[in-house]
Amino acid sequence: MGETILELKNISKSFDGKKILDDLCLNIEKNEFVTLLGPSGCGKSTLLRIIGGFVKPDHGQVFFEGSDITSMPPEKRQVHTVFQKYSLFPHMNVADNVAFGLKLKKKSKEYINEKVRYAMRLVNMEGYEERMTTSLSGGQQQRIAIARAIVNEPKMLLLDEPLGALDLKLRHEMQRELMRIKHEVGITFVYVTHDQEEALTMSDRIVVMNQGIIQQMGTSKSIYDEPQNAFVADFIGDSNIVNGIMIKDRLVLIHGVEVECVDEGFDSNEPVDVVIRPEDLVIVGKDSGFTNGIVTNLIYKGAYYDISVAAGDYEWSVQSNVPAAVDNEVGLFIDPENIQIMKKPRSSDEEVIDKLG
Amino acid sequence: MGKVLGKRSALAGPYVIWAVGFTVIPLVVIIRYAVFDRSGAFTLSNILAIFAPVHLKALIFSLEIALGCTLICILLAYPLVLAISRLKFARSGMMLVILILPMWMNFILKLLAWQMILSSNGVLNLIIRSLGFAEFDISNTPLSIMIGVIYEYFPYMVLPIYDAVTAIAEDVIEAARDLGAKKKTVFWKVVFPLSLPGLMSGITMVFVPSMTSFVTADILGGGKLQLVGNIIEQEFIHSMNWNLGAGLSVALMIFVLISMTFTINKDEREEEEAW
Repeated sequence: MGETILELKNISKSFDGKKILDDLCLNIEKNEFVTLLGPSGCGKSTLLRIIGGFVKPDHGQVFFEGSDITSMPPEKRQVHTVFQKYSLFPHMNVADNVAFGLKLKKKSKEYINEKVRYAMRLVNMEGYEERMTTSLSGGQQQRIAIARAIVNEPKMLLLDEPLGALDLKLRHEMQRELMRIKHEVGITFVYVTHDQEEALTMSDRIVVMNQGIIQQMGTSKSIYDEPQNAFVADFIGDSNIVNGIMIKDRLVLIHGVEVECVDEGFDSNEPVDVVIRPEDLVIVGKDSGFTNGIVTNLIYKGAYYDISVAAGDYEWSVQSNVPAAVDNEVGLFIDPENIQIMKKPRSSDEEVIDKLG
Repeated sequence: MGKVLGKRSALAGPYVIWAVGFTVIPLVVIIRYAVFDRSGAFTLSNILAIFAPVHLKALIFSLEIALGCTLICILLAYPLVLAISRLKFARSGMMLVILILPMWMNFILKLLAWQMILSSNGVLNLIIRSLGFAEFDISNTPLSIMIGVIYEYFPYMVLPIYDAVTAIAEDVIEAARDLGAKKKTVFWKVVFPLSLPGLMSGITMVFVPSMTSFVTADILGGGKLQLVGNIIEQEFIHSMNWNLGAGLSVALMIFVLISMTFTINKDEREEEEAW
């Protein structure tokens, strides 16, 4: 892709002795839509605040268009933030909120009016200029917050869980709006969320974070299809994650059964994590799959059935278009292509595994 | 619903009794005294007596003292509030306790202490002399009255402003900085306008009492400097002219009400013209 606009070099940050970010490096390219994705407490918001200038890293540097901005205060940076709680100025009307940054820059009245009109049109809020912000709904307030940031023509927009406070339907609508706005203004978006679906929908690139380190980076498709470790597999979408032993290339032992797969390059008899997406498991007749199990639960989810199949002491999660009768013994089939084998995390990351239970 | 409401309003009973017994009835009595002369004939002369030169002089002097004290309280309160509100919760609580502590001590006692400090042979001059400066006698001056008034009413200015400032969400301030506002601009464009309701309460609680705090004027003004409160006190206690005393009280009340509506309206207009 294009040139680098922001470079984070070896960023570390601790709060009260607890390490939030650990020697993190990340490059963000011009006009990219990058999403920092991870569970709460993974350090994604802290990283965004470091980019915005509200938090100073303990170690490491932040480069913006090649120059070191690590100690530059937020008011001097060419990045603007859209906050989760909208953070509009309650004592000003909508137009004054949007014009705030431009008035500080002492632009002419005509220029400001023109820009405000453009920004209001961009976020579909024309006609609300004179309203007080407190009289607007959450979705409308967030649109104004976006307009207020974009009107200043920042080179980069930081969005800190901006849709977190909205209901599901509105969130979907705003996701499309954000992608349209991003397309229209053509600037870099750095988006923070814990919602994997939101990340998969909007991003050019997803950065999955946990415990202050980057777990995996890549496009939505590569993150979903080829998670690099059990954490990513579990966090993005639903997954069956089981212990396995790699017998040799292309052959893995799962729950005492040898199953064909397509992975190579592991030591023989190396313990591994085996990840199988629920939608990749197929329910077949007894003894026709790699394992047999009893259907214990069937939930209709609209587009598919969520089926639980107990085999030994593990319960497989299966998504299927056809229902299966509860208490029936069935077989489970998996295409070797759809099995992902992952190295066990090193012991230093034991906690990650513990959390997965 | 009506029943619940009925029960709820019953909770206000003690306050209603208090308000009627100690505000409404005395007010009616005072107004009654104010609009009659000693012989019992209706008159407005007691109220209009505020325009008599000696009374007017006291009113203007009170006004100057009150304005000065209110202004100084505001100027001292904001930096203090900004400093305290940045502290961690436990420490800011400590600071507030230190601020409130003097309020738990007897009012007269504090004034007598100030009298000792400010008198020509007092602590203040002792220090000034020991530093080799010329003696500096401010006892029995308007300045010493103001020091007493400010000392007494300063917490009443700080607390409502502190409440208003700490209620401002941190992310609103961050948003202002994010949009390019330096710290000074953040204060004038965001913190100050959002603290106005607190400032208004502060002004109301400092301005009116400073105008009428006759005990302070008596003790720190040496009895020579008269606030409008002192004149009213004299009419009631020394001249025993309750009608004139009540008339001046009513005139003062009208005056305060007018100036308060003026301040509040002005505040609203300023808010609209925030830019």
